[in-house]
Amino acid sequence: MKIKVKAKEKDGIVKVKMLVKHPMETGRRKDAQGVLIKVNHLTEVKVEHQGNVLFHGEFGMAVSKNPFMAFAYKGAKGDKLSISSVDNLGLTGQADVTVK
Amino acid sequence: MFNWFKVTGWLMLLMLAPKGAIADHYHLGKPASDKVIAGWDIDVRPDGLGLPQGSGSVVDGEGLYDEKCASCHGSFGEGEGRWPKLAGGEDTLRDDRPEKTVGSYWPYVSTLWDYIHRDMPINAPQSLATDEVYAITAYVLNLNDLVDEDFVLNQDNLAKIEMPNKNGFYVDNRPDVSNPRCMKNCKDPKSIKVVATISGITPTAHFKHDGNDGVAYQQSAVAVNVAPEVVKTYQNACQMCHDTGLNDAPKTGDVQQWQARLGKGKQALYNNALTGINGMPAKGGRTDLSDEMVKSIVDYMLALSK
Repeated sequence: MKIKVKAKEKDGIVKVKMLVKHPMETGRRKDAQGVLIKVNHLTEVKVEHQGNVLFHGEFGMAVSKNPFMAFAYKGAKGDKLSISSVDNLGLTGQADVTVK
Repeated sequence: MFNWFKVTGWLMLLMLAPKGAIADHYHLGKPASDKVIAGWDIDVRPDGLGLPQGSGSVVDGEGLYDEKCASCHGSFGEGEGRWPKLAGGEDTLRDDRPEKTVGSYWPYVSTLWDYIHRDMPINAPQSLATDEVYAITAYVLNLNDLVDEDFVLNQDNLAKIEMPNKNGFYVDNRPDVSNPRCMKNCKDPKSIKVVATISGITPTAHFKHDGNDGVAYQQSAVAVNVAPEVVKTYQNACQMCHDTGLNDAPKTGDVQQWQARLGKGKQALYNNALTGINGMPAKGGRTDLSDEMVKSIVDYMLALSK
């Protein structure tokens, strides 16, 4: 899965915005033939900086399609962040970004 | 679409006309100078015709986008609130709720460039420099995963970018009407029978079909033998108040009200109608009416109110 990230520093605060491309199927929706669409949602999103976890989210079926997340931390330009995500089918996503 | 072609066709004819010819003929306005025309001539076509020289990178576009576009269209083109999404929606065009974005729907990049150049940002249209438009266009393409992060867009490579839904459109070549004109051996019009009409959609029963369309008409319960022009004048000049009782006017057909007034004598009623009384101006404000007509109308209203 694709993860888009923007991280910008201003006055010592880094704002991180993320968008994970994911269908986030609840498992309760039916397709045109009336068959249930298999459940498929993110279970975990994690942002790390040098081994420290900055952001950790455990997601379920109540989260929207292509979820958008944002958080802020005290940091500096040039911080290298690593973002990872896992869904209930075991598929993973990974993105690296340098704070601007 | 076809109307649009007609309009642009006329505009092109106007542009082709010798400059000043129209202004000279009608003694109106002044000839459009090349500079004025250039200000309007900003359209860009799918093949890139009309693009000015310039270039912009995805990297430059990201900064501009965050500053000028993201507050409405979202940091990743996901759309804030109900502002338009710019990215995503792939393979949703056949869904019940298709997501029409630049990537999922638009057939040509030129539209994106033209739109940004012409109308964006919405609070300051045409405030962007040419290179800024190229940069933001490049970034929106990048948001849709159509170009890489190191891509630089310019006037030469813009038209070469293939949009995913390029072939999702077709020309609707059905004629406006399929009704060929008959020139010989035609049916006798009298033999043609209308088998279906669309009616009953708009209730029209309460309209009078004598040129008074739009005026709510109340069929009089009492048949009165009176000249048609009296009725017509009543409808034009009097009924607005006297049919409804507006401004405490005695309602036509209200026997009690009219018989009470008649107690003062017919001449008194005539005089009141001619010179005005209470809320009613002389002749109901219609001083163009003759005294005879006003009297006839009073008679008519009395006849309806017996």
